Amino acid sequence: MSTATIMKYKKMDAQDIQYLRSIVGEDYIFVGEENIHDDYSGDELAGIERYPEVLIYVKSTDEIAKVLKYANENHIPVTTRGQGTGLVGGAVALCGGIMLSTEKMNRILELDEENLTVTVEPGVLLMDLTAFVESHDLFYPPDPGEKSASIGGNISTNAGGMRAVKYGVTRDYVRGMEFVLPNGQVMNFGGKIVKNSSGYSLKDLIVGSEGTLGVVSKLILKLLPLPKNKLSLLVPFQDLSTAIQTVPEIIKSKNIPTAIEFMQGEVILAAEEFLGKKFPDNSSDAYLLLQFDGNSKEELEAAYEKVADICLECGALDVLIADTDERHDSIWSARGAFLEAIKASTSHMDECDVVVPRNKVSEFVIYTHKLQEQYNMRISSFGHAGDGNLHIYLLKDQMDQKTWNEKAGEVFEKMYQKAFEMGGAVSGEHGIGFAKIPYLEEEFGKEGMELFRRIKLAFDPNEIMNPGKLGSNYKVNLYAC
Amino acid sequence: MAKIEIIQNQKIEPHEAQEILKICPFGAIEWKDGKLDINSGCKMCKLCTKQKPQYFQFVEDEVKKEIDKSLWKGVVVYVEHTYGDIHPVTFELLGKARELADKIGHEVIALFAGYQIQEKAEELLHYGADKVFVYDEEALKDFRIEPYTAVFEDFINKQKPSVVLVGGTTIGRSLAPRVAARFKTGLTADCTSLEIEENTDLSQIRPAFGGNIMAHIKTPNSRPQFATVRYKIFSSLERAEEAKGEIIPCQIDRERLKSNIKVLDIKEKEKAKYIEDAEVLVVAGRGVQKEEDLAMIEELANLLGGMVASTRPLIEAGWTDPKVQIGLSGRTVKPKLIITCGVSGSVQFRAGMQNSETIIAINTDPNAPIFDVANYSVIGDIYEIVPKLIDQLRQKKIEEVPAI
Amino acid sequence: MNITVCIKQVPSTSEVEIDEKTGNLKRDGVDSKINPYDLFALEEGVRIKEKNQAIVNAITMGPNQAEEILKEAYCLGVDNGYLISDRKCAGADVLATAKAISEGIKKVGKFDLIICGKQTTDGDTAQVGAEIAEFLGIPHANNVLQIKEIKEDSIVVDVDLPTMVQTIEIQLPCLISVDKDINQPRLPSYKLKKATKDKKIISFTVDDFEDSDESKYGMNGSATQVVRIFPPQSNDETETWEGNGNELADKIAHKILELKII
Repeated sequence: MSTATIMKYKKMDAQDIQYLRSIVGEDYIFVGEENIHDDYSGDELAGIERYPEVLIYVKSTDEIAKVLKYANENHIPVTTRGQGTGLVGGAVALCGGIMLSTEKMNRILELDEENLTVTVEPGVLLMDLTAFVESHDLFYPPDPGEKSASIGGNISTNAGGMRAVKYGVTRDYVRGMEFVLPNGQVMNFGGKIVKNSSGYSLKDLIVGSEGTLGVVSKLILKLLPLPKNKLSLLVPFQDLSTAIQTVPEIIKSKNIPTAIEFMQGEVILAAEEFLGKKFPDNSSDAYLLLQFDGNSKEELEAAYEKVADICLECGALDVLIADTDERHDSIWSARGAFLEAIKASTSHMDECDVVVPRNKVSEFVIYTHKLQEQYNMRISSFGHAGDGNLHIYLLKDQMDQKTWNEKAGEVFEKMYQKAFEMGGAVSGEHGIGFAKIPYLEEEFGKEGMELFRRIKLAFDPNEIMNPGKLGSNYKVNLYAC
Repeated sequence: MAKIEIIQNQKIEPHEAQEILKICPFGAIEWKDGKLDINSGCKMCKLCTKQKPQYFQFVEDEVKKEIDKSLWKGVVVYVEHTYGDIHPVTFELLGKARELADKIGHEVIALFAGYQIQEKAEELLHYGADKVFVYDEEALKDFRIEPYTAVFEDFINKQKPSVVLVGGTTIGRSLAPRVAARFKTGLTADCTSLEIEENTDLSQIRPAFGGNIMAHIKTPNSRPQFATVRYKIFSSLERAEEAKGEIIPCQIDRERLKSNIKVLDIKEKEKAKYIEDAEVLVVAGRGVQKEEDLAMIEELANLLGGMVASTRPLIEAGWTDPKVQIGLSGRTVKPKLIITCGVSGSVQFRAGMQNSETIIAINTDPNAPIFDVANYSVIGDIYEIVPKLIDQLRQKKIEEVPAI
Repeated sequence: MNITVCIKQVPSTSEVEIDEKTGNLKRDGVDSKINPYDLFALEEGVRIKEKNQAIVNAITMGPNQAEEILKEAYCLGVDNGYLISDRKCAGADVLATAKAISEGIKKVGKFDLIICGKQTTDGDTAQVGAEIAEFLGIPHANNVLQIKEIKEDSIVVDVDLPTMVQTIEIQLPCLISVDKDINQPRLPSYKLKKATKDKKIISFTVDDFEDSDESKYGMNGSATQVVRIFPPQSNDETETWEGNGNELADKIAHKILELKII
């Protein structure tokens, strides 16, 4: 953005620290780079390291409120952090100040089986939440790949996951929340209610706001009955475009799988190499992986057989059925290892998480293949064919840093351009952080960014919340604050 | 014949049938056109006879032929070996056999079959055997199922033992069922506990359903009673200075040692390649300060016959291979023993290893989250502990070697 | 070549619980599936068929519902499915099971190679294979790691022995039990499922057997008896050790010995 007014934040001093210590207690505050574990200097986005001045672990809404009020009055930036598993630098304390970790707020407060909701603190891990509700035969459908992420982090990026095809994303499961404004005011948005036409939906605005508006201190999540059976189909095709072109046909059939993923032979080979385990089929270069759930074997069978027939009509070589835990694992463990396997196969990589309309996936993937040749750079992809969200990885391999920077920049530019032309968006599920801000600007234009900014200021006039991210009025220069 | 009989005088309505069908955990009760039936899924658990005695009745055998248990004497241990090198499970079984035999006043007999093994037999007498029967034949040089079964058969016919214990190794679990079937008798695999009653009935306890349940099993009316036991379940006796007992060379008709199996080659086993397959893992964490220091982690792993694994920072530093990363998105492991060295224990890491059987965690920070999942939380510096631990284990290894 | 693969229907999960009060297994609504270890055996059989001329049969013993796993075997490439289903086989232990299956195998007809999985996930005994071989009077090898060669009248396999790997040539007919991970089993094919939808399963009862003496089957033919079942004790021991390097090394070494790691 052109008008770069950089906020001047207060450098923290002994008095500030003394105050914070009195709020959170001696054991829950760490001051200075030498005392802060280096995990807290970044997230999973490679190549950035920026320490907060102070790391605190909050344990209650009251503590959050007191810390925010103080920071707001004293112009100290606050970056909220869950497990730091983000991929776009969202939880990096770009301007120093306070890092507010919600890790210790990890209690499951209430399971309301009459309203089918669960009330949790933001630090609860996704895997713990899932295990808890499933032990009560209930189901929290959002299924981001990173199970060790905190639910607060999921809320901040509106995380998606594979089951989005049938069940939607995190936002669809947030019924209500307790929210602390930067001035320390505690608000309640939404509730256990199913319907709500009462004004702006502030909770929906908070979901996906990446910690730039305040801090979520409690969540009421919607649950569904747990489907009793699940089943996957692994569908081999001659080539990727035939595979992906089948997806709209499946969706049209109205027997919606919970997940539709696509995968390519070379990525499967990398996963086999990485895991030391063979994939159950290696007859083809391209596969669709479909998942179904249901309450009885018969229901499941009826749904999948229709889809299997469609696949065969669209040119599938066969349809392979994974109906037991072992078979499921033999496929999904490979699927789960793709990212690590690709990572292990190269020196460095960068990722793009674009989302395009579902009927454009094939065209987009073919476009990346063209870019791969044009730029002589390995580009690997796999993703959620069913919801149009693609994960495309540019691999540095043997390139020198300068060539890599240039090429990667150009390739990203082209991919986002292509996505926008197709009616797509910058991010499907990882968020914007600061790494993707320039592309967000391309997507929304000046007016859009201005709207973002006014929303930001309505909540956070002193701009203490996660500066340099959504709603900031400057592009981040890491060394300027 | 023992069986479960159905007593049904009138038609059973669907709603009641639903209740009745639910009784059977094996789905063996059927209901069709108002009539109950039992199918072959029945495991004779008799649950139905207890819950609905009005419909199900257990009918005992009319005539039970009893065997004379007093004709079967001795507790036998099969001597497992590789070309004369006796497998340590044998000594553990001798320890257990001694205990069982003393209780019922029987002898402990070792059955040793192989080629050029005679001089090795003496060692068994130091570990509790009263007698060692030795079959020394060239046809027994390599393990092949038919000649080994023939020898076992010959021995049992001559000795009529009450109990036969076999190591639960790949050889034992091939040989024991073969012999047990030849004598149409019972065999209980992988026993974790053995006790004997005065009437010489063996009480055997073993895991089933992947260790999720334990079963108490008896062989009430046939002899010998076969049991296999895995290595490292029981303890061997201290080696006695004096060898008490006798070695009895045995002969067998060579015609009976014929085999349809030809051994073409013998080679070393490959070591586990992936950390998921290792029984013991030693994990290097950020507490390891220099790449060179990985050597001590490596050495500890070698001493324990295990593999080195690591956490993410070490992989990112390029010190370790990405394939040895433990974590939810890396590899999930559950070895018998895992020792973490200077690992603080991120959520990701813990989720990848918390199902290990025994977790020993070494870390200087008493608040490290790894201690939340550890069985043994060792608060200390790996640089002080690991080298000393290596010294100690080396010592122990040297002490142990000559005994076996 | 005639190959018969022995398979078993087991509960979908081995995470069973025991009712503390009654001591019975809780198996409410548990689905069943092919014993996962048997999938390696089936895969090995089908692979031989793909490379050589062979007919692959699958045989199982169980209630009529066990037909399901034979139907599934058809989707994996098996040619014929046989079911031994008879109340007289109920309550069978290893001995009586092996007896019934060996009789079933004879009833199927000529056999050259019998393939079993290493063990089941419910009984876990890993001994039925060897006992079947004994009843049939043919050689067997357990823990087969690899089938190296199929010859006219023999096969060459690698066998896992306690301290080494033995390569042996076994004359046919013979029985092998294959190790877990000898291959990556294929998934059932929907195309085959459609193609074999109406394919029949052949059923046997004890009366069909060459040896139809009832006293040799089921509970009557069993030598062992389950007295009771109970839940295992779990090791959830936790201890914290502090002290100097020497003491701590000592404690760890002691624990390692106690666990019999070395």
